[in-house]
Amino acid sequence: MGSRVLPEPVERLIEEFSRLPGIGPKTASRLAFFLLRAPKDQAAQLAEALQQLRERITFCEICYNISETSPCPVCADDTRDHGLICVVEEPLDVVAVERTREFHGVYHVLHGVISPVDGVGPEDLKIEPLLERIRQGGVREVIVATNPNMEGEATAMYLARLLAPLGVRATRLARGLPMGSDLEYADEITLLRALEGRREI
Amino acid sequence: MRLKRLTLVNFRNYSRLEIAFDRPLIVLQGDNAQGKSNLLEAIYMLATSKSPRAGSDRDLLNWFAESDIQPYARIDAEVERGSRTERIEITVLKTNGGTNGPAVRKQIRINGVNRRALDLLGHLNVVLFVPQDVELVDGSPSVRRRYLDIMLCQINPRYCRALSEYSHAVVQRSHLLRRLRERPGDPAQLAYWDEMLTTRGSEVIAWRRRAVIALDQLASAIHHELANGSELLRLKYQPSLPIPEALQPPLGLDMAVAQEEIAQIQAAFAERLARLRPAELHQGACLVGPHRDDLRFLVNGRDLQTYGSRGQQRTAALSLKMAETRLMHAETGEHPVLLLDDVLSELDAKRRECLLEAVNGVEQAILTTTDLTLFSADFLAQADSLRVTEGCIQRLNVGSGPDG
Repeated sequence: MGSRVLPEPVERLIEEFSRLPGIGPKTASRLAFFLLRAPKDQAAQLAEALQQLRERITFCEICYNISETSPCPVCADDTRDHGLICVVEEPLDVVAVERTREFHGVYHVLHGVISPVDGVGPEDLKIEPLLERIRQGGVREVIVATNPNMEGEATAMYLARLLAPLGVRATRLARGLPMGSDLEYADEITLLRALEGRREI
Repeated sequence: MRLKRLTLVNFRNYSRLEIAFDRPLIVLQGDNAQGKSNLLEAIYMLATSKSPRAGSDRDLLNWFAESDIQPYARIDAEVERGSRTERIEITVLKTNGGTNGPAVRKQIRINGVNRRALDLLGHLNVVLFVPQDVELVDGSPSVRRRYLDIMLCQINPRYCRALSEYSHAVVQRSHLLRRLRERPGDPAQLAYWDEMLTTRGSEVIAWRRRAVIALDQLASAIHHELANGSELLRLKYQPSLPIPEALQPPLGLDMAVAQEEIAQIQAAFAERLARLRPAELHQGACLVGPHRDDLRFLVNGRDLQTYGSRGQQRTAALSLKMAETRLMHAETGEHPVLLLDDVLSELDAKRRECLLEAVNGVEQAILTTTDLTLFSADFLAQADSLRVTEGCIQRLNVGSGPDG
């Protein structure tokens, strides 16, 4: 490599940006130069936001969702049904379920799924804390809401095995056709699952 | 089925090509390295979304197109199936990519709608004959598995689904086995992957076994003719797990009636897995399943891979390919488009005649050659003859066709 063309702080920022997912070296330099030319405030605000992200956000000691407080507002809410736990892969899945406004139970965030290729085994997920929650009593039902792909199914099956001896009802989200879609365009597997899960009308 | 029209843009050595196919037989004549095989490659990709050659999709882009602002290559075709005409487009786009440098992205459209590679299967079926087909006999088992897989994927996308889920399960399970070897954990984690492996794997085995039983019959008859009746060719699917002896499936690839058979294979698979568990944990790999199966060629009871002469191996490979053509027709009700890449020159007159006869029976065949004298005058009179020169195509028999 030749001598350094860019000043060290610029290069360092580019390097940091390129470590982020979905950002290549080109985008990284564009972001860095944008910040260099932007008003000073903007860079400062970004820096502050980044700092606060790690300082103010913690994991809820009960459900392991991200939160400013522990327990998180959902776990601390007495009006919610603490006997019904919805198990999800990621914090964003909590947001998705909350958007339905129909779920009044509480959550448990696993922070991943079992995927041996990525080196993730059950011990890397928040499975033990979930079992501990159930052992403490008061839980009637656990809804396993992991994604309907192979890794999500593997995790669900592994959980089902552990939940069986604990005497709680374990359920899995139904699989089928998305709303507003066309039968014609549904793929075979989805249609097959929808047929299996058909209901009386 | 047949190809009505083909347009190539920036594909390999074609910067732009537009060609209509009017007659069932098309002969592409040209010297070496003019682009004959590239044309067949493009058609093969329309059927399978993959190139028959190894190597990266990046090489598909025309070298000159690399300097464009947005480099891309395009294959665009109209396929006639019965009374329907469908448009298939594949665009290979060069992207800036991430940390691994430039990458390419493939975009598939059927009748103008973006589709996954899986959805492409079945819209155009092809059987490609190349001189390297002899590798089916003398090459490694992976060549034969790949061959069976591509054929079955074209016949039924359900096979493709089972195969891709099976392959995914093999990768995950192998990693898990390796992980358990390095630091012992709860082997109960294997339960789900065992289930995936045996359900999908038994389906893959059942399809392949049935296909090979059908191919065996067809290929034996074809081989009988090619080899003057002196030799008996048999094809045998050789699974890596013991299949129950009593299991003799009926002919055909109707998997709806094969559920019992699949269940029996699955039981045998599960039993084998249980027996191999210590070995698998020790070696950290999936030791049994369709990813370790093979296809064997026997002539008069002797294994061709070990004992066959080059000529015998070639004839067996040709018989298999011709059998595949018939099987595809029987299973899908449509003749596949035959693509013959310079295969006539290495066949003797007898085999050439047999092959051309078979070619004449399908809806469309596209043949490449360096030497037009390999074809009879009769054959050429029925065919569209085209000359390929440095990525350009010129009609040789202008005016003699039914519509000019």
